[in-house]
Amino acid sequence: MVEYIIETNNLSKIYYNNRVVDSVNMHVEKGKIYGLLGKNGAGKTTTMRMLLNLAYPSSGEIYLFGKNSKKYSKEIYSNIGSIIETPGFYENLTAYENLKIISKLRKDFYPQNIDLVLEMVNLENAKSKKFRDFSLGMKQRLGIAAAIMHSPELLILDEPINGLDPFGIKEIRKLLKRLSHEYGITILISSHILSEIENIADVIGIMDNGVLIEEIPKKDLYNRLNKFVEFEVSDVDSAIGILKKLGLKENKDFSYREEGKINLYTNLELRDKFNALFVKSGNDVKKVNLCEENLEDFFTRFVSNN
Amino acid sequence: MLTFIQMEFLKLKRSKIFLLSLMGAILPPLLMFIAATSFNETQSFEALFANVNMYMSAMFAVLIFAIIISYLFGREYNEHTLKTMLTIPISREKFLVSKYIMFLVWIVILTVVTTFSTLIFGFIAGLEGFSLKLFIDSFAELLLANVLLFLTFSPFVFVSLFVTNMVPAMVGGAALSLINLMVYGQNWAPFVPWVCPYLIASGEIAEYSADIMVSYGMILATFMIGLAVSYIYFTKKDVVI
Repeated sequence: MVEYIIETNNLSKIYYNNRVVDSVNMHVEKGKIYGLLGKNGAGKTTTMRMLLNLAYPSSGEIYLFGKNSKKYSKEIYSNIGSIIETPGFYENLTAYENLKIISKLRKDFYPQNIDLVLEMVNLENAKSKKFRDFSLGMKQRLGIAAAIMHSPELLILDEPINGLDPFGIKEIRKLLKRLSHEYGITILISSHILSEIENIADVIGIMDNGVLIEEIPKKDLYNRLNKFVEFEVSDVDSAIGILKKLGLKENKDFSYREEGKINLYTNLELRDKFNALFVKSGNDVKKVNLCEENLEDFFTRFVSNN
Repeated sequence: MLTFIQMEFLKLKRSKIFLLSLMGAILPPLLMFIAATSFNETQSFEALFANVNMYMSAMFAVLIFAIIISYLFGREYNEHTLKTMLTIPISREKFLVSKYIMFLVWIVILTVVTTFSTLIFGFIAGLEGFSLKLFIDSFAELLLANVLLFLTFSPFVFVSLFVTNMVPAMVGGAALSLINLMVYGQNWAPFVPWVCPYLIASGEIAEYSADIMVSYGMILATFMIGLAVSYIYFTKKDVVI
């Protein structure tokens, strides 16, 4: 039986009559990296804030480690590490002092532990540097250090690669994969950057307008990429008119692309007939290619269809 | 709770506000020292302690406490550390209580600084009439006034949670200092919670027609209302990131 570390049941959040999270049923399996993908304002951060007890749900339930988060909050949350948006630390204190405060309050203060996590995120040389002098990337890495310092079983990371340079992104991605695959830590990570989620996640949850549209295992994702036919024609309007007359719907069965290109997503077997009709109408068909859509196109289509 | 307080002190490391508050605590004794040496206004230790206690608890402390409380609570929002603290996890109730206790400890430190700096300035000015009893009585009077004043600041906790920058606290503190100045000596002074602490601690309350219990009642009511409002607001409201 699958063990879920995070499970939500119709989780909703309403702000001033605006449903920013709408009946979300999320399932994060133990030991997996779950990527929550969505545009800015899709409801990812609010969902994570509710999971972390920073925002109260308007309705619905949250189960963490199989337990109701309201009833067992202390037991549950001491086993979670998190970053929500920009990590928050005391500006006047050094990296070491900030981590000391957190670990002391967690009652697991070991100086060598702090040194170890600072080394893991490549901040060992910034141990005595004040937080106010940190770059955005260093702040983000210190946030990750604070999140993993107590060896949690679950990490909830909201846009953790924000502000990191490509080298830093690669380092953190490697670290998170290591934490998940070697130590069995379950990770819920959100991002609006598709390539990042694709690179790291085992399961992708797609969120838009507060709704969790679908949870797709990455291995199934590539089977769902549409094949399509790309027509390059001299008169796009005429070609679109013909397709519409045949009952095809724009943005569903086909879409207009820039520079005289039309992508056909359905009725691919009829591409010869469409070609013939275009030519017959006096349209100059320069190219007819059978292609596979990329992930970006898949998500755009997926979100707009839902 | 001891760890909480220790960590609150660590948070103040290299903090300018802490140093500024200490300077604020030294300011009334310094001004009285200047008055004693330049204008021959204060001739004895007794008068020096009495004046310092009055200016401190009825005027300066009101402004300093407003700034301190705003800093203690507001910085957790402004530096985005509240979400870090609450996800440790620390219960919101414990967090709120630890801040109140830290505020009280800070007040006691300021009281000690004020009393000892008054003593030092008194000796530098060459005032007469010092006795250990006078020193202890004066410290106890200021401590009582400041602790009672602490109780009247719970509404400021709510203001600091609601508006997280320090401007409202500074304006509010300055306004209360002026109000204290205006109502001092008026018949209804025992009904104003922020002037009552000084009147009670100094014994001047006996000169008013209102019973001392009325003033205690006003202080307690202010504390309870502020505590209830800040507790409800802090524990029921989502954390704004």
